[in-house]
This record gives sequence, C-alpha cells and structure tokens, in this order.
Amino acid sequence: MTMQVTDGGRAQPTPVPVQADGGSNLPAIYQRLGRDALRDALKKMHLIRLFEEGAEKAYMRGLIHGTMHLSIGQEASAVGTCMPLSDADYITSTHRGHGHCIAKGADVGRMFAEFFGKETGYCHGRGGSMHIADVAKGNLGANGIVGGGIPIAVGAALSAKRRKTTQVVVSFFGDGANNEGAFHEALNMASVWKLPVVFVCENNRYGMSTSTERSTAVANVADRAVAYAMPGVIVDGNDFAAVAQASFDAVDRARRGEGPTLIESKTYRIRGHSRSDRNRYRTKEEIEEWRGRDPIVAFEKELLDLGLLTRDESEAVRAEAEREIEAAINFAAESPAPPLKDLTRFVYSN
Amino acid sequence: MPSEVILPRVDMDMATGKISKWLVPPGATVTKGQPLFEIETDKATMEIEAEADGTIRDLVDASARDIPVGSVVAWIDAAGEAAAEKPAAAEPAPAPPRGRQQDEGAEQAVAESPGTPKVSSGGLARVIGRERATPLARRLAREHGIALADLRGSGPRGRIQASDVAAASKPVLLEPRPARSIPEASPPATKSLFAAGDSTNPETTPVAASAAPLSPGSATLVRLREGDGTPLVLIHGFGSEANGWRPFLTGQSFTGPVFGLDLPGHGGAAGNAVAGFDDLVDAAESALLEAGLKGAIDVVGHSLGGAVAASMAERGMLDVRSLLLLSPAGLGPEINGGFLQGYLGATSETSLRPWMLELVVDPQTITPALVRATLKARQRSAGVEAQRRVAAAVFPDGTQCFSIRADLARLRMPVRVIFGTDDRIIPARHAAGLPPLVALHLLPNIGHMPHFEASEVVTTILNQVIDPQR
Amino acid sequence: MDAAVRELSYAQAIQEAMAIAMEADENVILMGEDIGVYGGAFQVTGDLVHRFGEDRVMDTPISELGGAGVAVGAALTGLKPIFEFQFSDFATLAMEQIVNQAAKIRYMLGGEVSVPLVMRFPAGSGTGAAAQHSQSLEAWLAHVPGLKVVQPSTPYDVKGLLLAAIADPDPVMIFEHKLLYKMKGPVPEGSYTVPIGKAEIRRQGSHVTIVATAIMVHRALEAAIELAKDGIEAEVIDLRSLRPMDTGTIIESVKKTGKLICVYEGVKTLGIGAEISAAIAESEAFDYLDAPILRLGGAECPIPYNPDLEKTAVPQVDTILAAARSLLAGRL
Repeated sequence: MTMQVTDGGRAQPTPVPVQADGGSNLPAIYQRLGRDALRDALKKMHLIRLFEEGAEKAYMRGLIHGTMHLSIGQEASAVGTCMPLSDADYITSTHRGHGHCIAKGADVGRMFAEFFGKETGYCHGRGGSMHIADVAKGNLGANGIVGGGIPIAVGAALSAKRRKTTQVVVSFFGDGANNEGAFHEALNMASVWKLPVVFVCENNRYGMSTSTERSTAVANVADRAVAYAMPGVIVDGNDFAAVAQASFDAVDRARRGEGPTLIESKTYRIRGHSRSDRNRYRTKEEIEEWRGRDPIVAFEKELLDLGLLTRDESEAVRAEAEREIEAAINFAAESPAPPLKDLTRFVYSN
Repeated sequence: MPSEVILPRVDMDMATGKISKWLVPPGATVTKGQPLFEIETDKATMEIEAEADGTIRDLVDASARDIPVGSVVAWIDAAGEAAAEKPAAAEPAPAPPRGRQQDEGAEQAVAESPGTPKVSSGGLARVIGRERATPLARRLAREHGIALADLRGSGPRGRIQASDVAAASKPVLLEPRPARSIPEASPPATKSLFAAGDSTNPETTPVAASAAPLSPGSATLVRLREGDGTPLVLIHGFGSEANGWRPFLTGQSFTGPVFGLDLPGHGGAAGNAVAGFDDLVDAAESALLEAGLKGAIDVVGHSLGGAVAASMAERGMLDVRSLLLLSPAGLGPEINGGFLQGYLGATSETSLRPWMLELVVDPQTITPALVRATLKARQRSAGVEAQRRVAAAVFPDGTQCFSIRADLARLRMPVRVIFGTDDRIIPARHAAGLPPLVALHLLPNIGHMPHFEASEVVTTILNQVIDPQR
Repeated sequence: MDAAVRELSYAQAIQEAMAIAMEADENVILMGEDIGVYGGAFQVTGDLVHRFGEDRVMDTPISELGGAGVAVGAALTGLKPIFEFQFSDFATLAMEQIVNQAAKIRYMLGGEVSVPLVMRFPAGSGTGAAAQHSQSLEAWLAHVPGLKVVQPSTPYDVKGLLLAAIADPDPVMIFEHKLLYKMKGPVPEGSYTVPIGKAEIRRQGSHVTIVATAIMVHRALEAAIELAKDGIEAEVIDLRSLRPMDTGTIIESVKKTGKLICVYEGVKTLGIGAEISAAIAESEAFDYLDAPILRLGGAECPIPYNPDLEKTAVPQVDTILAAARSLLAGRL
C-alpha cells in the first residue's frame, strides 16, 4: 500500500506505514471495515466488472443505443472511495460512472434498464449510460460534461453545511477535468468556505487520447491542491485498501468541518475511452502491464492471503454477483419502453 | 413563317396594356417600321410599329380591355404564305410568361386572362398565380364567397386588405320594401353580386324591412349568387339568417341565381308581431312575390324554414318546382326547448358554443370562427327579442304547434326530406310516415345541420332534385 | 385585507421580494459577486447582508461558472439559491452550468430531482457600458427547455415574478433591465406572486398589437399615447415571460387588431420577435392578419459606446411610432 500526502504549500510526500493494530497483521483500514464490509466491497467490484462486461456484450449485440464509457480496471477506486459513505452522503459522478453508481449502492437491474432505455431505468430511459443517477442512495448523477459535477458537488456541500447536517460530498472526476475552469473555481470556493467535500480525481492517464504528461503542467493532479490550500493525496487507485484509507481520512476531515481534500487516485482504464476508441495513443504492452495489476484480482488475493475470505466464499461471492447481473439483464430486457407520448415529461415539475 | 405581333412591355412596372386604336385594318399590307396600333399606359399613349413586312391578320379587338404584356395581338404573314398553314388565330390569351413572372414559374398569363378586372398595380398584385391579399382578406373573402380576383387591392403593391373585401361584401339587395323586382334591382354593370360600395351609399345599405310597420313581420330577400336560370331560394332555420347559407354555397356552382330569405326577426328582417306559423309563411311568400320571383323556383328549407317552404309551396302562389327540406320542423310535436332557451340566452362565444354543439355530431364543425360569426350575426340582426317572440309564437312551451304533414301530402313537385339520425333538436323519428310521394334520406351519424355536416350528400341530392336541364 | 401599496423602485421591489422569501424560508440564500457589504453592483441586495448575515447573502469569488454550479448543486440538495450575475453578459461564462446542468438535470434523471434555482440577470443597454456589459441575451436562455425565463417590466411585476420564481420547483431566469432599476411604481406590501407564463395587456386598443418586453413595454406605451393622438389605438402587451410564452394572449389580440409589431431589445434576427411572429403565423390568428408582422429589435452589431450610436442600436419610442404609423398607413 502506497500513499503520499501533499499538504498546503509544503509538498512533501509522506509514506504512511502499514499499520498493524493490537498485534493483528491486518491493515488498519481492514480492521475498521470488518469482514462483511470487505466481502461486500469485493462483490461490488465484481458487480461493476460484470455489469460493464455485460453492457459491452449487449452493446455488441445492438441492444444498447449510443456509446458507453467503461471503467474496467478502475473498480477499486470507485468502491474504495465510497466505503466511508452512507446513503445520506452525496456523490457526483462522471461519464465513466457505472462503478461509482454501483459502489454507492445502485440496483444493477435499474441500471441495465436505463442502458436499454427502459421506463424502469433510473432515469426512465431519458438519461442512458452517461446520466445514471440514484438520488435515493445519494448519487446526484453521472455527468456528460467534463468537470460538470465538480461545482455541483461544492453546492451540495454548501447545502449540507448550511442545513447543519453531517453529510459529506464526494466528487469523482477524471484527469481531464483538472484542466477545466470549473475544477479550479470549485476547489477554490470549497476551500474558502471550508465545505465538507472530497474531490477524487481518478487519474487513468488519458483524457480521451491525450496523456496527462501532454495536458497537465504539474506532475500530479494532487499538486494542484497546493493552490487551494487543501491536502492533496496521491493513492494507488488499483489498491483497494489505499483508496479506502485515503477516503476515510478525507471524509473524516470533512465531517469534522476542516474542509475539502483532493485525492488523486492513480489508475488505468483497460478499455478505450469509449466504444469507438482504437487505442492509437497507447501501446499494447502498456495495456497488458496494467491488466496484470487488475484491482479485483489483487483485492481478492489479499483477502485470501489475509484469511478474510476462503476460496469457497470467493467463488460464492462471484457466483452471487453473476446471478444478480443475469437477473438484472433479464429485468431490463423485459421492461417496457417509455411511452412516446411522454417525450416531454420531466422537463418541468409542473 | 408568320410573325407574331405582341403587346410589348413599354414601361417598367407594366404588366398589362390596352390597345386604344388599330392604325391598320385587317388584311392590310404592312411594312417593317409602320405604326400598327396605339398602346395606352398610365403615362402615355405610344405607337407600336411592325417588325416584319407582310399582310396583317387576326387583329385583337381594340376594346377597352387589359391585355397581358407579351400576348399575341395579331399575325403578319410574309408574302406568299398560305393562310391554310397559319397557326391558330390570334387571341389575346395566354402568352408565355415573361421576365419576373417567368422566373417565379408563375401562371401569370393564365391568371391574367382578358376581362379579368385589374388591381391597381397590375401584375405585382399577383404572386404565383394568386392575388396578393392579406390572410384576413383571404378569410373574409372565403367566408363571403367573394372571388379575390374580382377585387381591387388598396394596400401596398395592390394588396387586397380586409377593408377591400368588406367594401365588396355589402349586400346590394337589402333594399327597403316594397322592393322593386329583383332583376331590375340588380345593378347591371356589376358582375359580382357584392358590388363595391360603402355603407353610406343608400343603394347598398341594408335596410331592415321595419319600414312596413303594419306587417306582423316581414321577410327580406338577399341575393346570394348571380346567375341566369331558375332561381334557387334558401330558407334558413330558427335563429339563423340568409347569410348562414354562405358556407354551404362555398365551392358550389349553380347556373341560376341563389336567393336567401331572412325570416321575420332574423338577419335584416324585423319580426315585431309574429303571432304564429302562418305569419312566417305569409312573410316569405310576400317577399318572393314582391321580388318578382313569379316564375319557376326551387326551394330549400332548413328546420323551421323547411316547414315554411313546404307550407308556402302548398299555397300555390309561387311556382315551386322542387322542394328540399333539411331536418324540417312541423312533422311532430317535440323540439329541444332547452336548446331554444339556451341558444337565445347566450350572449358570449363561451355560452353560445355549447348550444351550437347541440346542432351537430362532430364538434369540429363548430369552429371558433363559426361561433363568432353566429354571435356577430345575432348582434346585427333584428334582435334576440324578436326571435324570442317568434319562438313563443311557433314553439310555445317548447312544442311545435304547427304541422306540415297535410301540406306535404298535397304537393306534387319532387319533395325530398333529409334528416340526420342523430339530430338532437328535432328527433329524426318525426320523419316516419311521410306521404308516399315524399322521399326521405336518413343520414347516419349526422345532427341537425346536414348541409354543414354532410354538405356533399346534400349537394348531390339537391342537384338531383332541381331540374337537370337547367 | 388589502396590503398597503407604496411606491417602490424596481430594485427595491426585488430586494423586498428576496427579503420576504428569506424570512419565510431559511433555505433561501443569495449568492453573487459583491452582493454583501457592497450591496450588489446595482444596489439590489443593498443591506440584506446585515439583516441575514454572510452565510445567507454570500459573496462569491469572481467565478461565474463555479458559482453557478455551486448554486445548482445547492438547489439539488435542499437550498433555494438566488444567484445574481453582476451583468447578464457574464452569464456567458456560466452557460455550461445553466444550459447543460440546471436546465437538464431533472429530465436526464427522469424526474427524480428538481432544481429550484433562481438566477438574476441585470441586462440591457442604455448605460454607456458598451459591448460586454449591455447585452440582452434572454432569448439564448429562452431557447432551452428546462429553464423558465421571465422579463418583468414593472416594480409590481418584478416582485411578484421573483416570488413566483422562488416558489417554483424549476430553474427560473429573471432578466432585469438595468434602466428599470430606478423606475418607481406601486408595490403592495407582503407576499404575492405574478404567474410565470402569463402576459399582461398594458393598454387596450383595436388597431395594432404591440408585443414588447422589459424597457420596451414603456417605450411602446409612450408610443401608444402618441399614436392615440392620430386616432390609432395600439394594444400593448407586456410579454413578461419568454418561456413559457403566453401566445394565447397575443393570438387573441391579433385576432382583434389584425396587425402585429414585436418590440424587444435583443438582436432582431433569430430572436423573440421571430418566435412571436412564427407563433402567430402558425395560429388561428394568421387568418386575421391584415398586414405584414413587424419586428423591431436590436441592431446587427454589438452595443456601441457612443451614446447616440447606443440609442440607435435598440428600438426607441420614435422607432416604434414610425413603424406603427407606416403599418397603419398601409405603407408596409
């Protein structure tokens, strides 16, 4: 597990040692979460992977309209980040948001239904892959605009503070968004007003085809935190424990009223930007190297190695996720389409 | 090859011109450069010269009429050309479209056939084969059965505006009684029934027949269509007026003139003291006789007007050749009294419309424009009070207290009765048991206004019943 | 129990509406640049910060995009923000949040949320502020389903429409003409609303319908008084709402007058006038038109600085008069 923190103007990476608590050889974060939560996290990671693979197959069979942005390879980042959050806490998500949605507790059946453009989908077929939201679980929605959700997250945090709740908001975005004005304006305001928001940049190295090296002046997105006087934390986004630990730290800090944190979760998308990506900007070797660092495989192995999971349990978790996905696809396929007469329904409230 | 002599464009904005004088007689030998005719424009009279040598023939009549620019007005045969191989005789008729009109692919020349009354700025007033007119003017013309081509546009570039249509739609025949006979009363120079004129002109001012105060009520005759042949007389139902037939007449062609009667208390006719059904028949009969309609006529009556028509025909004072009765009254006791009350009481479009809907099956028939027009007509007419008195006289207590059954049995001209099965004003079952010589057409899913809701069927029946030789 | 009616300026009426809403609901907050102790660029928020505190009258950084986004997020999660753009021109910086987010979130999310957000846009020319501080961009936003766009022309209406906007569950954009801020008019005390989506006939007339927005309503009324001296009775309709647009009132008026002039300050082409004209052409009122429809709008140029050029760039009373006279004289 690796993690560095850049704090305020003093950018000094501080390796955090693996903690063993009370003689246990378990990471502190695992002790905090406990077996059930960890197994549940593993299942969510499987669900995300299977959901996206299922969506990919459905797309190839022509069952899905439009494109989709897959987060295969980024599951630990989504699930790890959401570990400290309850349903009352909010997230804002991105165009690559299936993982965030499932991590925040969404029902994969309604997600598939939305993919299939069905009335039973989360958005009644109006949103599709890029706008899936699950407000009941605190997901304020994926967003088709790069950086679009960041100021909205700040607004939700302002609302939480103003209404004197203990809610925290996590805003997911990609490396591409760190060069949008909205990112900078939003981070600045969150810091000025000390709002309970955690900015999570899932740096998967490419904004569509343009690498962070070619697009971003600083070496790490987390270095931007200096400008806004908030902690900037870099984690291995494929390491569930590291992500979860960083998220807990930032969320705890936010709940204490100490203001925002910027976490940079370094990860990699195995698939292309969208279904039309021909991977001309990166090598097969690079993709293969990251494939070898599959976050699900790593997490499962860690749980097995630490004795938190048996081989049978592992199989059972995976089988359970597969059953859920199969049922979800069936539910979506059999669901009714929205009536055409309802085209303009939901534009206004009344 | 014979050469054409055309009416040339001699002025920028000229679309038509007049030949004021031919300078050579037909058959004359002409030489190139020789003046052939004089053309008259707004600005000047110009001589037009021959463009070829030869013998001139087929000269267009130099009467005072507009000829579209480019029209052939004569032909010149070169020496030795045989008359037999000559193309068709010159007609001031359609010449190929030229210039601007050609660019627009317009049927300019067709629209500009000789004799068409011209609007002020000639061709510019017509766009793509249709008159330049505002939407309002078009609608008013449509509703009043007026041809835009007959109007002069007073607006910019000859655009016909609402005021132009209004000026043309004043009925000319609503003259003070006792009226002179209709044929004399019709201004001979006016092609359209609706002569241009304004309401201050006594000749065109509609005057209600209240000039005859001693009469229990009088009917007024309105000429709805010009024509030669057996006149067609239309008698409206309770609460309507002669003008109420105009929508039915739109698009119809009859050879004979068409007249509408305003029954006492309706349209332009006063109805001070109608005491009963016979007063209505008296008034209708007198109006027709006084108008000089002593020859053969065909009569169509709707509802109360149908009953009046039948009873009038039975009296024999008029030469009624055929009778078409639409949803006629007088066949049974029931009539929708609620409708009579509500219809008479309605003072706004909102309150009138529901009652008008009672008249039909298809609510689409009752357009907002129709409701509005009906309301306006009532405001113009002799008054709701007069109609109340008529209703009290002929439908006391919501009952039809007169019968035309005996009249019908005595009639020998073709008589047809049309009823809509879904009539909510007078039940269609009243039409049961008609005399054997009376034909009945029952129209399914039609209400009290078959001439609105099934106008094509009614037209077909009407054409069957009026003398086909006309 | 009639509320007392006082003379208030347009700006005071806005401030009073905001104060009423803030008293009634502590989730109503104000956000904007320099709206706190400064009182707002046009002194609309005035002293509200002293009454409600900095937490509820929030000065934002000069971050229109971020600020608008924060307002959207706050509206999504329980607050009712009233966001002031210092000049409507600056909304161009925030279009992403207004158009892609505020307007669409409810629809994209299948009706699961609503965005009870009010945005205020000081707009229009006449102040010598030139091209980047004088625009009338209301038609831009009115083109976006999901937004409601209003343009009140009187102190009474701005208070009532603002209170209606705050009560509305959807995002409402209020365009306030800067020249109107000091205009006074009768305003009742207490809370009342003016319905969004309803035009108001300011003057009855039978010869020509003039549909106007914002400051143009007053110019049209002035022109109407002049026209009346010539015996021309103009019916002046204050559109008030661009989206939803009350075409019914205009249709009924045109059916009466047969003639229509649209007067608005935004650039003439592809603007409000085009929409009104088309709505009439598509409606039953078409058959009542007895003259071409006229549009009087802003010139095809940025708003210039020179005061005479500036005046010439947008319709004035004389422009309306001349147009109406030509139309009524049958010269058009």
